Formats: sequence, structure tokens, C-alpha cells
Amino acid sequence: MSPDLIAGLTAACQPQVLMFLVTGVVLGAIFGALPGLTATMGVAVLTPLTFWLSAEQGLAMLLGIYSGALPAGGIPAILINVPGTPASIATAWDGYPMAQRGRAGQALGINALMSGGGQLMSILFLSIAAFPLATFALSFGPAEYFGLALFGLSLMAGVSGKHVLKGLLAGTLGLALATVGLDPMTAYPRFTFGISDFLDGVSFIPVMIGLFGFTEVLIQIADRHDVHEKPAIGALGSVFPSRAQWKKMLPHTALGAVIGTVVGVIPAAGGDIGSVVAWEQSRRVSREKQSFGKGSIEGLAASCTAANAAIGGAMTTMLTLGIPGDAVSAILIGALLIHGIQPGPLLFQGNQSFVFTLVFLMAFAAVIGMLLGLIGARPLAKVLRIPGPWLWVAITLFGIIGSYALNNAVVDVWAMFVAGIVGFLLRRAQVPLGPLVLGLILGPIMEANLRRALVLSRGDWAGTLSRPIVLFFFVATALSLLAPLFKELRAKRRQA
Amino acid sequence: MRYPDLAVIRTLAASLALAFLCGCAGETGPYPSKEIRIIVQSPPGGLSDQISRIMGSLIEKDFGVPLVAENKPGASGALAFSYVARQQPSGYIIGHTPVELGMVRTLGYTDIGPGDMTLICRVSLIPPVLVVRAEAPWKDFAEFVAAAKAQPGELIMANSGTGSIWHFNTLLLQANTGIQVTHLPYNGSGGTLVSLMGGHVDAVIAGVSEAMTQIESGTLRPLAVFDSKRSSVLPDTPTTYELGYRMGTPAWSAFSGPPGMEPAVRDKLAGAFAKASEDPLFLNLCADRGIEPAYLGPADFEKFAHQQAEYFAEQIPLLLGMRP
Repeated sequence: MSPDLIAGLTAACQPQVLMFLVTGVVLGAIFGALPGLTATMGVAVLTPLTFWLSAEQGLAMLLGIYSGALPAGGIPAILINVPGTPASIATAWDGYPMAQRGRAGQALGINALMSGGGQLMSILFLSIAAFPLATFALSFGPAEYFGLALFGLSLMAGVSGKHVLKGLLAGTLGLALATVGLDPMTAYPRFTFGISDFLDGVSFIPVMIGLFGFTEVLIQIADRHDVHEKPAIGALGSVFPSRAQWKKMLPHTALGAVIGTVVGVIPAAGGDIGSVVAWEQSRRVSREKQSFGKGSIEGLAASCTAANAAIGGAMTTMLTLGIPGDAVSAILIGALLIHGIQPGPLLFQGNQSFVFTLVFLMAFAAVIGMLLGLIGARPLAKVLRIPGPWLWVAITLFGIIGSYALNNAVVDVWAMFVAGIVGFLLRRAQVPLGPLVLGLILGPIMEANLRRALVLSRGDWAGTLSRPIVLFFFVATALSLLAPLFKELRAKRRQA
Repeated sequence: MRYPDLAVIRTLAASLALAFLCGCAGETGPYPSKEIRIIVQSPPGGLSDQISRIMGSLIEKDFGVPLVAENKPGASGALAFSYVARQQPSGYIIGHTPVELGMVRTLGYTDIGPGDMTLICRVSLIPPVLVVRAEAPWKDFAEFVAAAKAQPGELIMANSGTGSIWHFNTLLLQANTGIQVTHLPYNGSGGTLVSLMGGHVDAVIAGVSEAMTQIESGTLRPLAVFDSKRSSVLPDTPTTYELGYRMGTPAWSAFSGPPGMEPAVRDKLAGAFAKASEDPLFLNLCADRGIEPAYLGPADFEKFAHQQAEYFAEQIPLLLGMRP
């Protein structure tokens, strides 16, 4: 073992450093579990505190928050169908149905295990291939981002379930909403009705809280006729998956880890995109496609792994290039600079032991988060025993607080309510909401980058779209749209 | 199931009312006697956020009351500025008001400018720097300008958003040197620098503080700092003024309150900011990131902010081709 490695490990193992790490993970779990409070916010609020700590202690706390928030974001997603962070949207797709069927304990257990596992695997990728991954990240120009977003949009059909046409309509609505705000190229206001609150567009997190949380409350109220008699869900299920379940989940976990890390490495693309892409790819390769979205442990494993693997990806970009891989790493760079540590290629030459310290801290944080999640699974799952009316009030209250806390803006609370009511009406009309969310996340990325790509190629579509990575995404998009068609044709031919 | 009885509801209502009353109390005794909120116009993590939080934690030690930074991002700061301008001028809510305070009215985002605030003080400046990739063929500013002149519109420069301060400086570069480049707007300097490093664009103008990491690691080469004096962190990079072009508009960081603040309260805040801006912690941040500490007291800042607003009101329509 190199002396740098040992020095790095020793620095990470100091009792005080570990204490700050645990504190960070717990704080992060609180920020992550409350919808509207994000890891970004937690890290930003606590950064000034770390100025008075040593670099290792400060970073331990911040990395703890970062790693603790994402697995915790899956908890409300599983229990009440409200993702705690955008990265846990796909967790809700399978986790919530599982909890509704009396397997909440297991869903929370898988969330804790796979989240920690995802982060550990991405750290492993980081330690063996940091620089190749970083080079890959830089090759992403506007055209490549467009390709990635387009590929993401092709998932719309997959997350629509039985109602593909209605799903596509919802997706189009999401894309249309994504055009509100300043035009990304000319900065001309679009659909703002002269209200400056709309200049930055529809804020995504309040809409997400509304569409998932408030919509769910309204639907349960509308179906409430038997609520007084029906006991709340009693069974919680065992926390640990069985051997057979492990075997079933492992390939999907590996897939989630790879997709999550690669998407995380790309600047400005993180766990939110990574986890939905992983969910859809895992659905595609699964033998039990029909169970996805209805409580599939494979889907849950893939999305949880990918959401957290994105952390390792984002850290790779930050450490090797000195550029933020996501909003949290942007703040981490600032915190490192305060301590006189410059992230970037020079760090690997001048201060290698500190890089190892960071890597070990992230690995420890993943393990601590995993343990906390496992210990907390059973007590937390008891949320489901809370009678409906109490839960509805609590979800609505948290929704209001979370939406406001994001930007300290009342307009976001209104956005939450409107999104909730619209979501309720859409769900009543059997319109799936997943595609709408995809449209909102991917719309701005797709539009701005297509237009940037066309500026770069001076309006030449063919030149832009034939770059290798872009072409790869195009082929993947086409395949993902055509695959079901071919399969049907083949089945018909066999019958004939 | 059992619903809560009246007693529980009564207790809850009483405690809510009590909490509300507690919130209304206070504001007794000399300023400051309770928490001060700093409204930050950008999301958590940016430079504005960091400067506000560092200043807040330094003044906290001085004042003995908490200073809490709250982020209210949107529309280049317009949302935060108009929020602060609508508050009571008690001194318990102030805002971080950077260079955009002088720009948003002309850009048409909201009808607000330095005249609608109580201007407290300026704390720092961030000069713009023109950077290219280390392997780019242009070794200095003159070569870059010559290359851009030889092929009008061929070179691509990314900027941090149409109408942003770094886009404005890119337009100044065009107007003063007679070159013509293709502009590629991003949302913030993070995107512009990544796309420059990846070789997707040819050059970028960003804040010295934003490009420092890449300059120090040798990934990017600074060609000129857009200022009249050399940057303390880039002592070897020539300034535009040395190169014969009197151009460059730095970004700045400042703090302001709602209109009509008591001069005594304003001066007390300004004094605290002055003290905090000499604190080693702040000076270290500046030195590491290429921010120039540049404190201006209330009177000087007032003059400076109005000059800036007039300058932008005249230059933005001219350079951006907007109709006045």
C-alpha cells in the first residue's frame, strides 16, 4: 500500500472526523426525508460552520449530509408516494406499491441497502477510472446533452403503463410547461404574463411535491368512504431481502450502478436523470416487465442504486476537473477552497492523501447511511399505521413548508397546490403522471442544448447529429421505441 | 379510529396563538436586538451565497444576534431585490445586491434600481478575464483579436446568459476591438467553462474567481483581465487597459436594505460590514478565489451604484441591440 493511501485512511479514521461524518449523515437524512429540503440546501447552510473545523472534519460533515440525503429521500417516496428529492422519483414508482401491499419494511430495507451499495460501487469506479471518466464528461457538448435528453424522453412510453397515448399527452404537457420562463438563448420572456416570478420558469420541486404528494392526498380523500372501517396497513414485511430476491436484484443493481455513475459524471445531469434511465433499462432487460411500476424489487433496486451512484460520478467530475458535477459539489468546491484545497488535476499530484481521505469518507458515509436506513426501516414503516386523515394533513403541511422553503417564495406553494389539483384530475382521467415529470425535467435540457448545438454547427442538422455519442443515443432511442413493435411482430409470426 | 377530542384541539390552538405572539414580540432595545435576515439573490452555493454567508457569520460574532442567509433566486436577482424593497426598513431584513441591481431595470425583468433601496455598502469586485484552452493557438490577447478579425463570426464565445454581466463584457470586447464572434449563451459560468474545456467553444469571458481553478491547473490560459489594474491572483496576465483598450466592467458584491432605513441603522450595518471585510477569513477567501476586496461606505457606494445604473441604462440597449 502506498504511504498516501495509509495517510488518507488514517486521516479519515480519526474519531472526531468520524463523529462529524455521523452527524452529517443524520442531518442529511433529515434534509433528504423532508420533501422540498434538499441536500444542496443542507450543505449550503452548514458550510459556514465548517470554516472553523479542520478540512477533514468539515468535509466529513458535508460529505455526510450529501450521502445521507439521497437514501433518506427514498423513505417518503416509499411510505407516502412523495419523493424526498428529485432523485427518488423512480423509487416511488415501485417502492410505494410495495408499501401498499404490506412490504414497506422490505422496500425501505432495499432502499437502504441499494443506496449504500450504489454509492460504494460508484466510489469503486471513481478509484479505478477517475480520469477516463472525466475525459468522457468533457466530451459532452450541447449535441450530446440533446441526445441524452431525447433518449430520456423515449422512456415516456415505458413509464406510461397501459395508457401510452395518454402518457404521451401528459409528456407533451410537461414539455410545454418547461418552455415557461426566459428563452434560454435570447433571454426573452415566454408565457410569463408579465409576472416576474415566472421568469425562471416553473420550479420543478414544488410541482413534483404537488403531483405526487397533494395529488395522492386528494385521491385518498375522494376514495375515503371506507377509511373509518379499514385499518391502516398493518404488515410491514421483513426488512432484509431473501436469498432468492438478492439473486434477482443483483444484475439490476449492477446495471443501476453503471448507469448512475456515468450519468453522474456528466456535469448538470445527476441522480434524477440517472435513476429514471436505470429504472427503464432495468425494465427492458427484466423477465417480469409487467411487474415494474407495481412493486417490482428489481425496479426499486435499479433506481435506488443509480440515484446514489450519481454521487460518486459527480465527485469524480469535481475532483478530477475542478468543475461541479451537480449543485452540491459546486458548494463543496467552495468549502474546499476555503480550506486552501484546490480540486482539479493538481490535487491528484500535490495532495493525493487528501483525495484518499475523501474517497474513504464517502465510503464510510455510504456504510453509515446503510446501517441507519436498516435500523430505521421498521420504526419508520410504522408511518403507514397512522390513520389516513392525520397523514393527509401532515403531507399537505410538509408540502407547503417544503415548497416554500425551496426558494422562500409563496408562488411555489401555489404551484404545489395547482400541480396537485391538476395531477388529481389527470389521474382520475387515467392519465399517468410519470411522463409529465420527465417532460419537465428533460424539456429545458433538450431545448437549450439543441439550440446551442445548432449555433455551433451553424444550423447544420446533419453535422450536429452525426457525432458518435449523439448517434449512439439516437440509435438507442430508436431501438427503445421500436423494440416492443418487433417483439409483437415476431410473436404474431410465431402464432401464424 | 378515535378522533382527537376538543381538549387536544384547544391546547393546539393555544400553543399556536402563543407561538404567533412570540413572533410578534421583540424589536425592543437598541438595534440589533434580534435575528437579521440576509436575502441572497442566487441559489445556495454560488459566490453571492458564499460571500453573504461568510459576512453573516462574521457580523454575527460582532452583533451577538444571528444573521441568517435566505436564498430567493430568480430573474437575475430581480425577485430578491423587489422582495427586499417591499419590506419594513427596520434593518432586520437586508439583501445581497450585486451588479445586477444596476442592470435588471434596463433588461426589463422588474422596475427596480439602486434608487429604490437604502444602499448600505459594497464589499468586493470580481474582474472579468478572457480565457482560452491551454492548447489553443492564440498565445496572447493580440493574437486572439487578430484571429477573430480575420474570420468574422467564426470564433465561438460562450457566455453565462444573454444579458448577464459576462455577456455584457463579451459585447464590450466586440465593440472595442471591432471583432465579431458567435455568442453561445449558457445558464451561469459553470456551463461555459466546461464547454470551453471540452473544446466545444473557442473562448469564454468569466469572473476571475470562476476560472481560477482551471487557470492554476494549466487547463485554461488567461489572455487578459478586463480591468485597469492587474488582478492580485493573476499578476502575470496583462490588463485590457495596458493593452490599449479602456474596457471592462467588473461584477461587484454589495448589501442594501429596504428604502427609508434610519441612517444610524444603515451606518451601524455598514460599520459591521467594513470590519468583517478586513477579517482574515474573508481576505483569505478573496485571495484564494481572485476576488478584490473593495469596501465602499454608504455615501461612496450610493454614488457608485447610481453611476453603474446609468452606465448600464445607456450601454445595454446599445450593445445588446435592444430598443430603448
